[in-house]
Amino acid sequence: MELPRPNPMVLERRAEIVARLKEALPADTVIDDPRGLVAYECDALTAYRCPPLAVVLPRSTDEVAAALRICHAMDVPVVPRGAGTSLAGGSLPTADAVVIGVARLTEVLETDYADRIIRLQTGRTNLSVTGAVEADGFFYAPDPSSQLACAISGNIGMNSGGAHCLKYGVTTNNLLGVTMVLMDGTVVEIGGAYMDAGDLDLLSVICGSEGQLGIVTEATLRILPKPEGARPVLMGFDSSRVAGACVSDIIEAGVLPVAIEFMDRPCIRACEAFAHAGYPDVEALLIIEVEGSPAEIDHQLRLIREIAERHAPEVIRESTSAEESAAIWLGRKSAFGAMGQINDYMCLDGTIPVTELPLVLERIGELSAQYGLGVANVFHAGDGNMHPLILFDANKPGDLELCEQMGADILRLCVEVGGCLTGEHGVGVEKRDLMTVQFSREDLEAQLKVKDVFDPKWLLNAAKVFPLAVTEGRRP
Amino acid sequence: MTVITPASEAELADAVRSANAPFAIRGGGTRSPAATRPVLSTAALSGVVLYEPGALTLVVKAGTPLAEVEAVLAEKSQRLAFEPMDHRPVLGTSGEPTIGGALAVNASGPRRVQAGAARDFLLGAVFVDGEGTRVRNGGRVMKNVTGYDLARLQAGARGTLGVLTELSFKVLPVPERVATLALACDDPSRAVAEMARALGSPYEVTGAAWDAARMLLRIEGFAESVSYRAGELARLIPGLVPVDEDPWPALRDGAALAETQRDIWRISLRASHGAILAERLCGAGAKVTLDWGGALLWAAVAPGTDLRAQMADLGGHATRLRGEGNIPALHPDPAPVAALAAGLRQKFDPRGLFAPEG
Amino acid sequence: MKTNFTDAQLADPGIARANEILRACVHCGFCTATCPSYQVLGDELDSPRGRIYLIKDMLESGRPADAETVRHVDRCLGCLACMTTCPSGVHYMHLVDHARAHIERTWDRPWQERILRGALARILPYPGRFRWAMLGAKIARPFRRLVPDARARAMLDMAKAPIAAPSRLDEPQVHKAQGSRRGRVVLMTGCAQKALDADINAATIRLLTRLGIEVAIPKGEGCCGALVHHMGREEEAKRFAAHNICAWMAEIEGLDAIVINTSGCGTTVKDYGHIFRNDPLAEAAAEISAKAKDITEFLATLDLPAPERSGMRVAYHAACSLQHGQKVTAAPQTLLQAAGYEVATPSDPHLCCGSAGTYNLMQPEIAGELGRRKAASLEAVKPEAIAAGNIGCMAQIGERTGVPVVHTVELLDWAWGGPRPAKLGNSG
Repeated sequence: MELPRPNPMVLERRAEIVARLKEALPADTVIDDPRGLVAYECDALTAYRCPPLAVVLPRSTDEVAAALRICHAMDVPVVPRGAGTSLAGGSLPTADAVVIGVARLTEVLETDYADRIIRLQTGRTNLSVTGAVEADGFFYAPDPSSQLACAISGNIGMNSGGAHCLKYGVTTNNLLGVTMVLMDGTVVEIGGAYMDAGDLDLLSVICGSEGQLGIVTEATLRILPKPEGARPVLMGFDSSRVAGACVSDIIEAGVLPVAIEFMDRPCIRACEAFAHAGYPDVEALLIIEVEGSPAEIDHQLRLIREIAERHAPEVIRESTSAEESAAIWLGRKSAFGAMGQINDYMCLDGTIPVTELPLVLERIGELSAQYGLGVANVFHAGDGNMHPLILFDANKPGDLELCEQMGADILRLCVEVGGCLTGEHGVGVEKRDLMTVQFSREDLEAQLKVKDVFDPKWLLNAAKVFPLAVTEGRRP
Repeated sequence: MTVITPASEAELADAVRSANAPFAIRGGGTRSPAATRPVLSTAALSGVVLYEPGALTLVVKAGTPLAEVEAVLAEKSQRLAFEPMDHRPVLGTSGEPTIGGALAVNASGPRRVQAGAARDFLLGAVFVDGEGTRVRNGGRVMKNVTGYDLARLQAGARGTLGVLTELSFKVLPVPERVATLALACDDPSRAVAEMARALGSPYEVTGAAWDAARMLLRIEGFAESVSYRAGELARLIPGLVPVDEDPWPALRDGAALAETQRDIWRISLRASHGAILAERLCGAGAKVTLDWGGALLWAAVAPGTDLRAQMADLGGHATRLRGEGNIPALHPDPAPVAALAAGLRQKFDPRGLFAPEG
Repeated sequence: MKTNFTDAQLADPGIARANEILRACVHCGFCTATCPSYQVLGDELDSPRGRIYLIKDMLESGRPADAETVRHVDRCLGCLACMTTCPSGVHYMHLVDHARAHIERTWDRPWQERILRGALARILPYPGRFRWAMLGAKIARPFRRLVPDARARAMLDMAKAPIAAPSRLDEPQVHKAQGSRRGRVVLMTGCAQKALDADINAATIRLLTRLGIEVAIPKGEGCCGALVHHMGREEEAKRFAAHNICAWMAEIEGLDAIVINTSGCGTTVKDYGHIFRNDPLAEAAAEISAKAKDITEFLATLDLPAPERSGMRVAYHAACSLQHGQKVTAAPQTLLQAAGYEVATPSDPHLCCGSAGTYNLMQPEIAGELGRRKAASLEAVKPEAIAAGNIGCMAQIGERTGVPVVHTVELLDWAWGGPRPAKLGNSG
């Protein structure tokens, strides 16, 4: 992975850029001390790092616009940052870039239960959106594993999913409107507290554009009434192949759980050590959750159990209390972090057709043996969104590169069987150079045209998503 | 008028590349009876490409008739959950609606309030842009954030960014049981308030509409669930009674308004504002129904009325589905947003081949 | 996370431990969400992840501390909410302790700060000196507006609290169990707490002896060392700790627990084993750490009688040192419920009240904001009283609310036969 060479003309004018930002914004909004910049040199993908030219932490849409106007006028690249939890390096800076972070934009602006919407500033964390409405019986549905810390701005940038999107959809299905600042400082309102777009559905392309089209400072989100209840059931199998087949059967049978999660033995052990959720020590574990009244839950679980029994599970255990359910989910949602106790890892995010699960899991096992690197699997099985974690030693020279090669092979495999490179983490820098595996030159060109319209100077997060060779000539 | 019916994507791309004047793109022709331009028809791009019930995915060519798609899915007890509307009753047209046409206008029925719109079920698209380039975007898997979502951008773009040739969708199982509950109510504000209570409950209402005389709710699912939830809803909203008829297809298509000789508008706005606008319009003699819990307002008004002037304080936007005269069919966007849309059209269709007729 | 230490650096056990901690961090950022200073300031440098980065950079380069690193490490409350949140088991406490010691060794603080910190280190751990200082501050308080430094003003404000007279109960002695003896514990009587509030130890002794537990107060025990430890003054901290270890080892035969009713101290005593891991006292220190129990942790192991009354609505404030430092979360609430109280939990119970040892004195602005938020969230559950297990929290919250703030053990003592806590006022 390479970053574009920083623009020497921008680096030369560093002092002037910082001075103009400081003049336009409150004193504690601009960080330019070299030590201070270090903390912003990467997000949750630590393999690649680069301290930015400066960091701006605005407290309003107007301040974001002021910072962007200055950068636009001075041709300074900008890297937007939410909570810095991207696993794809979505907010990795370049040395000539100003990072604009929305962490201080955390207010709830409006809550309306009759219309079932919430409008808020996008620095607010995903979980605290639900936090703001749950006492009144509502919740915000997309629930990425990092929901405790990740910001709505980043969720919109990456079109984040989560464990429960089998039923509730991902960010794009729950986003109604945005206030977005374009690179030239223009503030646009797109969508609102209503459903259909008037003309083009621009939200479609803004959501998931990885901060390349503008900086979203406010959002209107759909909130939903909380279900009467939910209950996860744990099912252990003696092989991943059987667990995968069970998932496919459940879906085909017309039962649609709200979540079907998969973990293999290494992940089960790491998560159990952190969350004490009572996971069985098996080769492959499914966490299946259904919702409704107690009787509805019983009925759905009965159907699911009937299907599962045909696959000779080693264990089937329903959660018996709210505390147990919470622990089961805490373990699953902490899987990436918990694996960190054991090893350095690279987390992949390809999606495959659910029917290909058994085959792909087998091939990943073969690649693991071939490369001599361990793999732990944890993923959203219901929608085929895989998260193989390739284990390596970051302090061992050459190991990262080997791991990257193996990761690339797995993602090629995902595309080969009809899937894609990334299901919910985004392309970032991590998968940027693999885009040509999934897309033809023409397919990519069509996407670049969208950026041409929103950011004609190609200053916003321009080193991401597309291979550098493809964007050569567009980037300054 | 000339009709070009390419037999393949490649032929279609050739036709676009060699064109020197704007086309009228046609699926089943149910939305535009008479063309003033050469017609580019997707009728020959038809058929199911891939259907995997176990993965809930369907890949289909854009010119496939909706009826054919629905028949294929029904065989495996699955369906398109977004309930695309049929424009024929309102527009008085003939022809067969196609899946491509439905997606191009993001046609979404009553279930949108709970399950989502056509755009929400779209997994991927192939289209030919204004320069005759074939573009593939998205794919056939449920979660995919690889690159920009150009596929979804086609939903509601009415073919102005390209001619759709192939689409993939997430499909859902057909529920075991459907029930409709009704509450006699001629007051739109009360109807919207009751719909908000129902939609704010955990009972998964999949349709919430007002037909000017009744507030209607729909519940779907396993038989046991449906009877349980119907009971709970009746407890929540006294006066709610089950009805045997299926009012939803008519509500979906605006059938009640179609028979009038008036202009027909479809207005997307905040649900609580739906009540306000309904009061205003009913007071002025319009015929009004509400869907999506109030967030979709159908109105039949005197020919030539510009409804947009009457909702300026409410936000949202109004589409005129039927009517003569100079009033634009689509709601004008604010200038900076319109500039972005115009910029995209310029990029994807620099020669204006797909510009709307009229 | 990848680290860059040389083999020579790693030969230092302190650096080796730091490396181990840093390697476990995956930089996921979960910790930012529960960090109180980040909630207030919104700059990642004021979050655990940012500080870990600054510390890593400082340690790897082996250079002296710099102003920027010191500013952000100083703003850490040490509440350890991040350790509860961290899925990777990053031992932030040991890392930040190491960094503080490095800062203390290599960074010249401005003279005003040196005087303030020096004064605190020389006064707070000694109840006698602390009482005199409080008296002096009471005399000086009318002139607080003339004091230019916000930190010094914060210290004067502390003198609003009444000074508790030395209690005879706290002197070295053995309090006999009532009835048949069911156990024997040492009570750590603390330092600053004694000077601020004598009722907590009194309630503890009454309750334990009534439950048949003999309570020994050994000669020679004193401050746990936490106050100076958090300032990076490692050697001083170890001197305090060594005194305690020796005093308590003399009582270790047949001892059930070392009971601590100031959770800030409890966290440190439980860490003696780590602090002395490379020291001749290692074995004794580990033994002491294993015996250390928060009062509620110990009470939860006993058979308790049925409560004599019920009904009071109590908001339970979880002190960070208790919930994050010691992971004692259920016991205080379960005990209060068992004692007949109706227990309410405020929103964001994981967030620190801003007291955090001497933090409210060193960082009055941030501490003040956190105190305001905490008092508001506690008042929102409409309690008749607020219970907490740490004197620092009690003072910090008490200053910002009209609701009486009592120690958990005072309520428990009352429910099981003791007098009504004076802080609750006359029967309401």
